[in-house]
Amino acid sequence: MNKLVLLAFFGILPISLSAQLERKLVNANQPVELIFHAPRHINLLTVEPLDKKTMHFAIMHTFGTLDGGIQNLYGLDNGANIQFSFEFALNEKLSVAASRSSRDKVYNLFGRYHIFKQTQNGSKPFSLSLAGGAGVNTSNYSFLPEPAPTFGERTSYFGQVMLARKFSPKISFQLTPMMAYFTDPRPIYQIEGTEKFYLALGFSGKIKVTDRSSLSLQYIPNLNTDLRNNFGIGWDIEAGGHVFQMYFVTSQALNEQYLLAGGNGTIGDEFRLGFNVNRIFATGQKKKK
Amino acid sequence: MKRFVLFFFFITNVSTAQSFLTESGNVNFLSKAPLNEFNGVSDKLNGLVDLSKNVLDFYVDLNTLDTGIGLRDRHMRDNYLETETYPFAEFTGKFNAIPGLVVGSKTPVTAIGKFKIHGVERQIQVKGTLSKNAKGEVELEAGFEVLLSDYKIPIPKLVFYELAENQTVTIKATLKPKK
Repeated sequence: MNKLVLLAFFGILPISLSAQLERKLVNANQPVELIFHAPRHINLLTVEPLDKKTMHFAIMHTFGTLDGGIQNLYGLDNGANIQFSFEFALNEKLSVAASRSSRDKVYNLFGRYHIFKQTQNGSKPFSLSLAGGAGVNTSNYSFLPEPAPTFGERTSYFGQVMLARKFSPKISFQLTPMMAYFTDPRPIYQIEGTEKFYLALGFSGKIKVTDRSSLSLQYIPNLNTDLRNNFGIGWDIEAGGHVFQMYFVTSQALNEQYLLAGGNGTIGDEFRLGFNVNRIFATGQKKKK
Repeated sequence: MKRFVLFFFFITNVSTAQSFLTESGNVNFLSKAPLNEFNGVSDKLNGLVDLSKNVLDFYVDLNTLDTGIGLRDRHMRDNYLETETYPFAEFTGKFNAIPGLVVGSKTPVTAIGKFKIHGVERQIQVKGTLSKNAKGEVELEAGFEVLLSDYKIPIPKLVFYELAENQTVTIKATLKPKK
């Protein structure tokens, strides 16, 4: 009789299940996306990946200090540091980039690698990425009485680990341990640091205020120098394929090495206005189905 | 006693012959705005058509919708559909009248039921056709309109000319007899 009950039960089971389908996600480990609006957040790189064969172009500017007041249009008269940055994704994980910053005319070659992404089900509680690169100062030093620095002496390097988490749809945070190395940090370079090696810890925060704009924060305390710490506060606006980022920051530096070695002004009076335009270009765009 | 057992098998067999399933149906969301027209496509439509009990049940994982541009997909998931909270678009309903299927010819059908997307459920009516192919599978084609504001999906003014308020949804699926 027991067998019969069992048999009857299994016999009926398919009928009772057929009332409605069970809702199942195609990918149970769905990644958390748009932790930040763009691969840049104020000055720091983020964990935000690029799709395969897409290019990210960022134009970044920082101006003079605010303390000149209206006479200098709050620093806008005092010459901008401009960085052009092109990043191309070879695949979903790895991208290579080149940038040129007008401060000391530094060309940087760097790469970003995404180790894993935060998932919605929490199997990965955060996203982890790496970035590193090398730069060369191409300023003309022929006016110096002493011999100009050689190519090797003009080089600098950086490396960083990016650890980011979207805590809620509104709040994201990134921790960025970073280091920079200058082969020969000469006083003529536009940096305040005199050491070769720099260690710092970057904090990036994003607080979504509307669906398409966020308050952005940046704080980069130096760990091995007496230089002032970098602080930035800004506003990100997402507009289709563009992300506009406006901010106040204490440093004019835009590349990683100079962010760590360049020195910072005081918060407030010596804030500088900054402005980034981020644009994604899809080069290998899939055909419409 | 044996007869009793057989009786249950009989019931299940009868019901399954009228029940059809798919996990790879095709869904297309067409957005036709003044400045931009694009499709969001998924081939992961799950569906059930039960002709004996008059049950229709379909759902698609919206994370699988592909518009051809990765960033647009991410914006769609994150800003509009909010797929982390509302991962599925679902339709559960029934036929107005159970259609009789003829192999090789399309029978017009009308279904009524509840469509749910972005956490909002609304009663809708869907028109389509149903046919049976030589393999005994059921082929379904249907279409309906989705007004984004009906489902609390706001379109910002900035992209008003690029994203259509009225989305045309078409469904195409071949459902296999349930074993």
